[in-house]
Amino acid sequence: MEIDHALLMQTFSAEAEEQLAAMEQGLCGIEQRPDDGELLASVFRAAHTFKGNAGTVGLHALAAHADAIEDALDAMRTGRLAVDARLVSALLAAVDALRAELAATGDEGAGDEGASKAHDAAFAAVQRLVKPTGERLPVAQPAESAGGLAARASASAPAHGNTLRIDAAKLDRMLSLSGELSIARGRLRTHLLGAGPGALEQALESHVEADRLYRELQDEIMRARLVPLGPIFRQYQRVVRDLALEHGKRAELMIEGEDVEIDTTVAEHVRGPIMHMLRNALDHGIESPERRNAVGKDAVGRITLVARRDASHIAIELRDDGAGFSRSKIAARAGLALEDAHALEDAELLERVFEPGFSTAELRSALSGRGVGMDVVRRNIEALRGTVAITSEEGVGSTVVLRLPLTLAIIDGFFVDVAGDTYVIPLEAVTECQELLPETVRHADGSGVVSFRGQPLPYLRLRELFGLEHAAPGREHIAVVKIGERQAGIAVDALLGQDQAVIKPLGPLFRDVPAVAGSTIGGDGRVALILDVAALLDLAEARAQQRSPLSPARSSRDATRPRERADREHA
Amino acid sequence: MTQPVRANEPTENTRKADYLTFFIAGEEYGIPILRAREILELQALTRVPAAPACVRGVLNLRGAVVPVVDLAIQFGQPACTAGKLTCVVVVEVALAGELAVMGLIVDSVHQTIELSESEIEATPAFGTIARCEFLTGMGRVGAKFVLLLDLDSALSAEQLYRGVPAAGAVAGGQAEKGGGLAADV
Repeated sequence: MEIDHALLMQTFSAEAEEQLAAMEQGLCGIEQRPDDGELLASVFRAAHTFKGNAGTVGLHALAAHADAIEDALDAMRTGRLAVDARLVSALLAAVDALRAELAATGDEGAGDEGASKAHDAAFAAVQRLVKPTGERLPVAQPAESAGGLAARASASAPAHGNTLRIDAAKLDRMLSLSGELSIARGRLRTHLLGAGPGALEQALESHVEADRLYRELQDEIMRARLVPLGPIFRQYQRVVRDLALEHGKRAELMIEGEDVEIDTTVAEHVRGPIMHMLRNALDHGIESPERRNAVGKDAVGRITLVARRDASHIAIELRDDGAGFSRSKIAARAGLALEDAHALEDAELLERVFEPGFSTAELRSALSGRGVGMDVVRRNIEALRGTVAITSEEGVGSTVVLRLPLTLAIIDGFFVDVAGDTYVIPLEAVTECQELLPETVRHADGSGVVSFRGQPLPYLRLRELFGLEHAAPGREHIAVVKIGERQAGIAVDALLGQDQAVIKPLGPLFRDVPAVAGSTIGGDGRVALILDVAALLDLAEARAQQRSPLSPARSSRDATRPRERADREHA
Repeated sequence: MTQPVRANEPTENTRKADYLTFFIAGEEYGIPILRAREILELQALTRVPAAPACVRGVLNLRGAVVPVVDLAIQFGQPACTAGKLTCVVVVEVALAGELAVMGLIVDSVHQTIELSESEIEATPAFGTIARCEFLTGMGRVGAKFVLLLDLDSALSAEQLYRGVPAAGAVAGGQAEKGGGLAADV
C-alpha cells in the first residue's frame, strides 16, 4: 500500500509546530521557575516526540538536531546543567532553527547554504553547553533582533493559512442539524402544497421549527469558528522574554482567561495590535531593574494579558506595572503648554496618545517609537468594530483595554423604519424604546430633548440628519442608545423589532459615508443600512456646535425631490 | 438599418462589437454588451446618506449590495421617473482598479446593435448632453447616432462625487471617521 507522503508531511508539520510552540513556551517558563520539574518534563516530552516523528517521516537532520536539544534538557533534568538565561537563549535559538528547517522542508527548493550554516551553529552552541568536558564557550546568540522577532510573530500566524481545526463532534452536530433542517423543509413544502383547512397554521408551525433549527446550525458554525485566546497569548511569552533581554530589562508575561474564545478572523487581526502594545509596555512602561529597585518595585516587571468575555464582546486587557504614562511627557509631545495640560482630565490627555506619530520615548529605540503608534492600533481595532481605552497612573503602571466583537459576520440588530427605509441599530447599543410625544421640544434641525426617566435626554432625528424627504408620521418613537457614557435617543418612524443582521460591505463607492457601518438585507429583501451609533452621536454633536440657520446642503433639496416622488410612485 | 458589407478578413475598420442601447432622458446610449450583466425591473432602492445625488440608492442583487446610478442627474437632467419601461441595467465597472458591479437606471432598454469600428465616430467637443469625457464615441445607426458610454469614466467615484450632493445635513459636513466595516469578512 502506498502512503500519501504529502498528507503524512502535512500531519507531521502541523503536529511539529505545536510541539515547537510547547517547547518554546515551556522554556520561557523554566527560565522563570527553574525548579519546576513538571514543566521541564513536558518540554522534554515535546522534544522527544518531535524527534520521533521527524525520524518516522525520514527527516533525519531534524531528528538529529532535536536530539541535541533533548540532550540538553536531559542534562537540565539531572541537574548537570544549571538553568540560566544564556542556556535558555541557546535552546530557544535552537528551537527557532528547528522551526526554520521545518519550514524549509515544505519548500521544494533546498534551503540556502547560509541559513543551514546558521542553524548548525545554533545546535553546536547547545551541544557545547551540554558537553561536560571543556570550558563553556560564550554563546554569542542573543535571541534575535527585534525586527526578526516582529517578522516571526507575524509570520507564525499565517503559517496555518486559512485552515482551522474543528472538533469532529462539532461537525457531526452540524451534519445532523442540516439533516433535520432538510426534513423540516420537506414538511414545510408538504404543508404549503396542501390546501386543506389548517394548512396555513401547519405551514407556519413547520417554518418556526425550521427557523429554530437554522439558528442552531448557525450558532454551531459560529462556535466552530471560535478559537481560544490562550495559545495566541502564550506566543507572546517568548516575545516578552526576548524583548526584555535585548533591552536590559526584566519582565514576565502573566496570562489570564486563556479559555476565552474569539472568532478566528478577529483573532488574526488582534495579533498585530497586541504585539505593538507589548512593545510599548516594554519600551516605555517597564523600567530598568535598577530603577525598579530604587522605587521599591520587584526587579522583574510584570505584564499581564487578560481576556474576558461580556455579553457580546471580548475584552483584551494589557496591564503593566511600569512607569505609566507621564503627563508632562505627553503634554510635551502633544505640544501643549504645561498649564494647559494641567487643565485636562487624565482621559483627555491620554487621548493624545492616539494621535498619529505620537511617541513619548525620549530615545527612539529599535523596539518602538518608529512613528507607528497607538493611532495604528486604534485604527486596526476600530476596523474590527472594537474600541481601545487607556488608563494610566504615573509610577504605578498603565492598562490598555481592547473591546472586540465576538464575530465580524453577524450582529444582533434592532430594525427601525425611517421614511420608508429600514435602518439597523446594533442591539447592544439599544437600551430601551419609548414614544416621542408630539409636544416635545424640537429644533429646526430635528434634534431635541425629551424626558427620559426624569432626566433630559437629547435625541436626533435620522430624517433630518440624513435628509430624507418624506412626511413624518403622527407618531414617532425613540430608540434610546448608549455608547460608553454617552446616552441619546434616535427618533424613528417605527420600531420593527430585533433580528440578526448579516453584515455586507457597502462597497468602495460608499467608503466615506458617515455614521453607516455597513449594510444588511432585511426581511423584505431590501438593503438596510447598519448605523454606527458612536459616529452618529459624533455627527450630531458636531452639528450642534456649528448650527447655522441655513445648512448649505439645503439648496440642493429641490434636485432630489423628483427622485423621492419616483420612489414613492414605484412603491 | 443598413448593415455594412462583411469583409473577408477583419481589419481595423471592420472589427465588430455588440452594443446594448437604452434611453436616458430622451437620448439613446449604448454600452458594450459584454459589460451588461443583467437587466432588472426597477425596485425600491435604499437611500444612502451623503451619497451623490445621482446615486439613487442601493439594491439587493442576490445578496450583494449594488449601488444604482441615475445618469440623467449626472448629466444635469431631471431625475428619471419610474414608469412602466423603467429598468436597471446592471453593469461591470472598473472602480479604482477593482471590478465593481453597479446599476444604471434607464427609461427603457431599446435594442442590441452590432457596430464595426468604421461606424463609430469621434464625439464632438460639445452638443451632447453627456460631457464628452463620458463617451467613447458615437455609433452611426441609420441616420441617427447612438452615444456610446464610457462606463469606467462616467461611473467612477470621482465623477459621481463631483456631481450635485444629495440633500441632508450629513452631505455637507465631513464625517468624523469613516465607519467602514472590515470588508474582507
